[in-house]
Amino acid sequence: MTSRGTVLEAERLVVGYAGAPVCGEISVAVGAGEILGVVGFNGAGKSTAARTLAGRQLPISGDVKVHGLLANPDAVAFRREVSAVFDEDLFFPSLTVREHLLLVARGHSLPDPEAQVEEELSFFGLQERADVVPESLSSGQRRRTLLAAGLMRPASLLILDEPEQRLDPVMREALGRRIRLLAAGGTAVVLVTHDPQLLLDTATSCLVIDDEVTVTAPDAAAAIIAGA
Amino acid sequence: MSTATAVGSADRAGEIVRFTRRSARRYNRARTSLPDLFVDVYVSVLALGCAVALAVSFVLALRGEFAQRSTTDSGLIADPVLVLPSQALEVLLTFAALTAVVVLGRRLGPLAVGGPESTWWLSLPVDRRPMVWGPFLRRTVLAGVGAAVAYTPVSILSALERTPPTHAFAAATFGLAVAATLGVAALLQQRPGAVGLKVTAAVLVVGGALAVVLVPSVWTASAGLVLAVALLAFVSPRAGFIPGAELTRAGAVSGHVGSSLYFMDSNELLRAVRAESRTAHRRGARFFARRTSRPFTALLRADVVAFLRLHPTPTTAVLWLMACVAVMLVDGGLPVFVQLGAVVIAGCAVASGFGAVARKAALVPELDGLVPVGPALVRASRSFMPAVAMALWMMVLCGVLVLLGAAGPMLILLAALSGVGMGAGSVRGATRPATDWSAPPVETPFGPVPRAQLASLLRGVDVTVLSLMPVALTLYLGVVALPVLVVQGVISAVVFLVVAMTNPHGNS
Repeated sequence: MTSRGTVLEAERLVVGYAGAPVCGEISVAVGAGEILGVVGFNGAGKSTAARTLAGRQLPISGDVKVHGLLANPDAVAFRREVSAVFDEDLFFPSLTVREHLLLVARGHSLPDPEAQVEEELSFFGLQERADVVPESLSSGQRRRTLLAAGLMRPASLLILDEPEQRLDPVMREALGRRIRLLAAGGTAVVLVTHDPQLLLDTATSCLVIDDEVTVTAPDAAAAIIAGA
Repeated sequence: MSTATAVGSADRAGEIVRFTRRSARRYNRARTSLPDLFVDVYVSVLALGCAVALAVSFVLALRGEFAQRSTTDSGLIADPVLVLPSQALEVLLTFAALTAVVVLGRRLGPLAVGGPESTWWLSLPVDRRPMVWGPFLRRTVLAGVGAAVAYTPVSILSALERTPPTHAFAAATFGLAVAATLGVAALLQQRPGAVGLKVTAAVLVVGGALAVVLVPSVWTASAGLVLAVALLAFVSPRAGFIPGAELTRAGAVSGHVGSSLYFMDSNELLRAVRAESRTAHRRGARFFARRTSRPFTALLRADVVAFLRLHPTPTTAVLWLMACVAVMLVDGGLPVFVQLGAVVIAGCAVASGFGAVARKAALVPELDGLVPVGPALVRASRSFMPAVAMALWMMVLCGVLVLLGAAGPMLILLAALSGVGMGAGSVRGATRPATDWSAPPVETPFGPVPRAQLASLLRGVDVTVLSLMPVALTLYLGVVALPVLVVQGVISAVVFLVVAMTNPHGNS
């Protein structure tokens, strides 16, 4: 059932490839301001689940709903509401970091896009590399650029797939703060992670993905990751 | 939030597209110096001029040859029992070309976005039409113009009696038919299962082929123009509604095809074009499940099943066969070398198609290491089904030619032996390493020759053509000589052994 304030809802969701499920059924609801941590071993199906929740992959069965309506990335309203950051290393080869972010800012009609971009560049420590093309960046800097693009735009649902990958500890901590801040502003967050500290710092509840999918408290989920 | 695929802001989308292009242009200009640009333009113009001059002289020479064919040449079959009107071949070829445009157009999109666009553009809450329509229109116009230019020599060679304006109208009609078929392909992209659209595509292809060949005139060209413009106008407002996943898929295939063409890698090209093509997933499951005690038998069985699944229908092979036979039966008789050339080209094309399993297996060489069988036996097993399939194809082709009076029944046996070598050749081609474009050319008395690159590009085709030579010689002579049969057997056996014994990477 959709409660008031529920942003993301999945009921008996089965995810996988070519009709073969990769994990157990997922039933979950994430409300505005909540941060759902998603954990599991390698190959458990976390990224597949995240991609399905973001509407980028069709479920084998079950539905994903955002604000009570079926997830459909071809609908403009869905794209306006949902921001998803996956490990996609795809950039325009001749656009600088600043231009990539400006493109997102303008595409989402942000007020004063240049100022917003400067803010993001500063937050992610990319000011000195703002005017170079992504090819000249380290993999960590490219990751920061992707995160900047995903976090700067308005969204009521934010899906992050292992955002801590290739980030240094300082940046990871800053990212945790930023995620909490976004949630405090009413954004629902789905955070797939292998970092117990990031999970403890941010998550309000957790989903453990395996042959059977269970909902658990963040400290229990963090213990699972640490044990893994 | 609405479930409907709302359009979103087109102005903002247009602004995003312009912003991206402007930034890219600025960056590229900053990296390109004027002398570099001059050299690029100079080399391109020179290369284009040379290509045009070569093509024109070749076409004129062929035109002269064709003009004399009725008096000096009667083709490979002296007195065929069945004769096709000379325009039938042209209709068939034009039909095949337009069909290829629809099929390839659908594989490559025709509406598509590249990798960066799919990540940075498609996620924006704006109308996608400005992002995909411009490139699609540009591609369609270029394809239409290119098709018209490419069709001009075909028209000149196939209908010597036509006046220059009629050639121009035939070429223009063909170019516009290509543009129109791309329009239908774009509509199919939005509604892949629509029967009405498939029927429209079929009618367009058949009607286009007939109009181009039989009645080329200002009227057919005008009708083609109206049809193409109407279809594109119909596609235009719908371009923004094509699913993002489909645009991304088409962009990935287009990119793959583009890079394969750039590096002249036919294996990658075939992998790209065949990506996500139909397969018979369950075919041969019971045969595969049978118990076996020997590793080689298990491997052979796996190769047989993989071949059957990757070749769900023999459509392409049958179409090539029909084209080959049509070339032999055309009224007036095409020159012998054209007919033999058609057989060689068809043989190489069909053989190349049968290398699909080897081409896929080459991507995961570790799999072959899982079976305790020597690499030579692995390659022999991989060559087995292509050899069988090619032997069958050659037997059917030559069986038809025997019935038509090209040579005696022994030609069928010769063809079967030839098919074995050709099938092995397809595996040699499918497993060739990527061409090393950095290798320096070799100095020869005729100037520098990129020998390493040529050797790499011709790997596979070399032995396929070699295996076909005795058949070609027999077709030319019209008599099956016993020594030729023996030579064919030796060639095919040697080719099969060479393919099995040679490591394509040369490191074992």
